[in-house]
Amino acid sequence: MHELKLKYQGKKMAPAFNAFHTFLYTPNETTHPGGTHVKGADDLKRTMNTVITALIPILLFSFYNAGYQHYSAINGFPENFSVMEHFITWDNFWLGFITVIPLVVVSYGVGLLVEFIFAVIKGHEVEEGYLVTGMLVPLIVPVDTPLWMLAVAVVFGVVIGKEVFGGTGMNILNPALTIRAFLFFAYPTWMSGDKVWVHGAKEGVTQAGSADAISGETILGYLAQNNEAAVASKFSISDMFFGFIPGSVGETSTFLILIGGLFLIFSKIASWRIMVSAVIGALVMGLIFNGVVDAGWIPDYSKFYGLMQFDFWKHLIVGGLAFGIVYMATDPVTGSQTTRGKWIYGFFIGFISVMIRVFNPGYPEGVFLAILLMNVFAPTIDHYVVRGNVKRRMKRLKNAVILPKDSDSKAEELKVETV
Amino acid sequence: MLEHIELFFKSIFIDNMVFAVFLGMCSYLAVSKKVATAVGLGAAVIFVLAVTVPLNWLLDQYLLRDGALAWLGPEYADYNLSFLSFILFIATIATMVQLVEIVVEKFSPALYNSLGIFLPLIAVNCAILGGSLFMQARDIPTLGLALNYGISSGIGWFLAILAIAAIREKIRYSNVPAPLRGLGITFIITGLMGIGFQSFGGMLTGDNDPPEGTETTTAEKTEEKELIEKEMEEDGKSVSYNDIIKE
Repeated sequence: MHELKLKYQGKKMAPAFNAFHTFLYTPNETTHPGGTHVKGADDLKRTMNTVITALIPILLFSFYNAGYQHYSAINGFPENFSVMEHFITWDNFWLGFITVIPLVVVSYGVGLLVEFIFAVIKGHEVEEGYLVTGMLVPLIVPVDTPLWMLAVAVVFGVVIGKEVFGGTGMNILNPALTIRAFLFFAYPTWMSGDKVWVHGAKEGVTQAGSADAISGETILGYLAQNNEAAVASKFSISDMFFGFIPGSVGETSTFLILIGGLFLIFSKIASWRIMVSAVIGALVMGLIFNGVVDAGWIPDYSKFYGLMQFDFWKHLIVGGLAFGIVYMATDPVTGSQTTRGKWIYGFFIGFISVMIRVFNPGYPEGVFLAILLMNVFAPTIDHYVVRGNVKRRMKRLKNAVILPKDSDSKAEELKVETV
Repeated sequence: MLEHIELFFKSIFIDNMVFAVFLGMCSYLAVSKKVATAVGLGAAVIFVLAVTVPLNWLLDQYLLRDGALAWLGPEYADYNLSFLSFILFIATIATMVQLVEIVVEKFSPALYNSLGIFLPLIAVNCAILGGSLFMQARDIPTLGLALNYGISSGIGWFLAILAIAAIREKIRYSNVPAPLRGLGITFIITGLMGIGFQSFGGMLTGDNDPPEGTETTTAEKTEEKELIEKEMEEDGKSVSYNDIIKE
């Protein structure tokens, strides 16, 4: 492979070839001669691959869940649910496979095509940024998203969200979330409601034994309609935690997301500060709302009641909050870069997500919007954190006493005492 | 009290001057290259809005609206001078800005110097006139609420220009394609920020009516804005608008 690379060096399609070449092999470039350089093995591609590894269990789970939700909606939910018998079945897997894989293929195909075109035109190497985005996108869209919508959204997200800023590492907003937001605002009637979350619901596949078309509402959708009874009867807490619920393709299983999150923390790819502070933020906002309900300040016919009385810790295990916190908020490019900034940034993500969930009847899922919003403000947070540091050090410098030079040759350097 | 809080958050986030109604764009785009200057201009906008909106509220209540002249006597009760509101509002704003400038220069030269050219610039910032006109159109009932509205929509504008200034400082090192440098990329960023601010669109829409219709229209509006912006940016390319206002 390395020889092939040398052979084609400088040709027009060289970037496209190199992209495949370095996908699995470490490039054979070494650092420049002269001087000592330390070169880490974990280049950008390795980083991206780590995140994808963390996403694969979720993708596999989503196959089963897509099938399970589809058959359950047709035949009714099984009485005595057992994982082996009802969930991990070949039927479920196969149905999920043929519905989810096209999403993955379209996302990668279209996205990488755009990346390749840009790389060839601009004559630089293909940037790896799309590897993770392309995996995230199919996981955050509803199962029945039409493929052409996804393709349009991916083109928008990659071009406007990333390439106009100069490519990977320069973007302001997370491209995957830009794609999701584009889908949401461009096709609002398709992307919300109770039809799109279960495969087949949109085409009017009918329920066994009745003429009704199947439908699958997400838990947040039920709650936004003040329909707590339906949630209680249909989904237990362990269902929510392990993810046997309708929702976007990959967001349902908090358990697997947790494992993926721990993996990312231990491999030091993602920032634990953002994750922890986002969880804290969500819990705080949830507690405030629960407090409002307990204090009786809000009547139970109010539109917000259903979501407000929802136990604060349950917010973490339904909807896309966990997925967003672990895989999207921690994006090192669009998030805050300073340590203190990360705490603030994460906290507001959790806080605003739950706030949008409760207060915005139009968007029962506010996580992606909250992260986008904080992406917008991340540079501001960073700016002020850095300013603050500069100010503190200036103050320290002002108070510092610079001792006169010692006449002894030993202590030549200045001694600075800080107060 | 509750209505004050609601109006406050509503005008900062939901009806944000920049991202919801796209007002005050000229100074927003022109003076957002550095955070420090953006903060100066933002502060000046907050101040001027806080002064002019209540003043114009008084004008509107006691001079302009239908039957406002009743306090002069019953024979004036059926006058409606609201066609004069544009002229009077802009006159108030210009006067106030001049007055503020003189006072600030006299009593606080340091602040005057830091605000610099921005203070007179604000007289022609459409967000200021927009604030007064929205105040009139939305029938804000009391002077206190008008003051609140002025301050909070100023804060909304301030946040917007602060955020974009920080982003523009950040992307200074980005490898933006040459035709988009400068205003082009700023328009795109503004559109993307608008998507971020959409998270508040339709929030707190009351308890009685389902916001289904409004929901879709706002969503469509964003799309339109996006489209318009894309077109604008393409137009910008063809007439090389970037060359006119270069960084």
